[in-house]
Amino acid sequence: MAKTYDYLFKLLLIGDSGVGKTCVLFRFSEDAFNTTFISTIGIDFKIRTIEMDGKKIKLQIWDTAGQERFRTITTAYYRGAMGIMLVYDVTNEKSFDNIKNWIRNIEENASADVEKMLLGNKCELSSGRQVSKERGEQLAVEYGIKFMETSAKASVNVEEAFHTLARDIKTKTEKKLKEASNPPKGGVQSSGHHLRDNNGPKKLGQGGGSAAALNWLSSRCTVL
Amino acid sequence: MTEEEKTIEVKNNYDHLIAEEKNKHTVYCTKCPSKILSSTMGKHSKIQFNLPYMSQRKNFESVECELLSDYWMVPDMFMFDNIGFSKTVEFGLKYLICADCEIGPIGWYDDKTKLSYLALSRVKHAEDS
Repeated sequence: MAKTYDYLFKLLLIGDSGVGKTCVLFRFSEDAFNTTFISTIGIDFKIRTIEMDGKKIKLQIWDTAGQERFRTITTAYYRGAMGIMLVYDVTNEKSFDNIKNWIRNIEENASADVEKMLLGNKCELSSGRQVSKERGEQLAVEYGIKFMETSAKASVNVEEAFHTLARDIKTKTEKKLKEASNPPKGGVQSSGHHLRDNNGPKKLGQGGGSAAALNWLSSRCTVL
Repeated sequence: MTEEEKTIEVKNNYDHLIAEEKNKHTVYCTKCPSKILSSTMGKHSKIQFNLPYMSQRKNFESVECELLSDYWMVPDMFMFDNIGFSKTVEFGLKYLICADCEIGPIGWYDDKTKLSYLALSRVKHAEDS
């Protein structure tokens, strides 16, 4: 059976409870129809399809679904993740402060070159802002990751945020593919150097070269 | 023609929705504009399955189900355009929901066979726009 897509990316939504991680995933309606029956069981993951540069990309998006209440997320959850949306609520100072803890948790558990993006979400329109846009931007710069403010209720920037993250992963994937098919002359060359701009203070350079790139590809994504 | 008018009325007989055993039309959510499945991606499958009603009575102990027998079988979950999966209920069973408004169950997924089944009566069929 022919595959119906070009790339498959696993993404995670991470952040404190109540920051609106779930409503970041609604595109059309303000309120979910989430029936009691489904909400009792809980949602595991969602599949979304986007098109980019003529390529069909499938996003498999996982919500931490309550695990974050325990302030830690297990390694199993991070396995195979290629992108992480770090979400805080602009009306909740504490959720912003905790982003640093979440980044630490990611560094301890997730793959070193996972693409990260920071989302300042405003889910409750009635509550006042506690975290300015500038502080969000500053934190993102500190970690060398992209930043966007979203209003899930108004669908502002939400789709754009997912497209941005997907684009970064796609670029990285294609770069690795290219490196894998054209190994640099003169043997070992760290693939980390090229990617460091996107990854800020986090060190990437574990080995490098085409073997590592191939390894990364076979373990992390499905490419046709 | 408006989106409403293009929607194909679902009757007990589903023949008009099927072409060479596949879904002739694009499949959408009944409550929001979310596109669930592109045409020809699902295979018509006659299989009896008790699917819980989308709305359950309050203060009612047991889950009330509807015996449905017409499904679009989707062999690979990544063939869906947009879909949500509930947590596993029992024996590798997950319910399918709309990825955008989360209405459901609109079908079920069997983790043992990796096959998904989308109930014809719980989705909207419309011409490709």
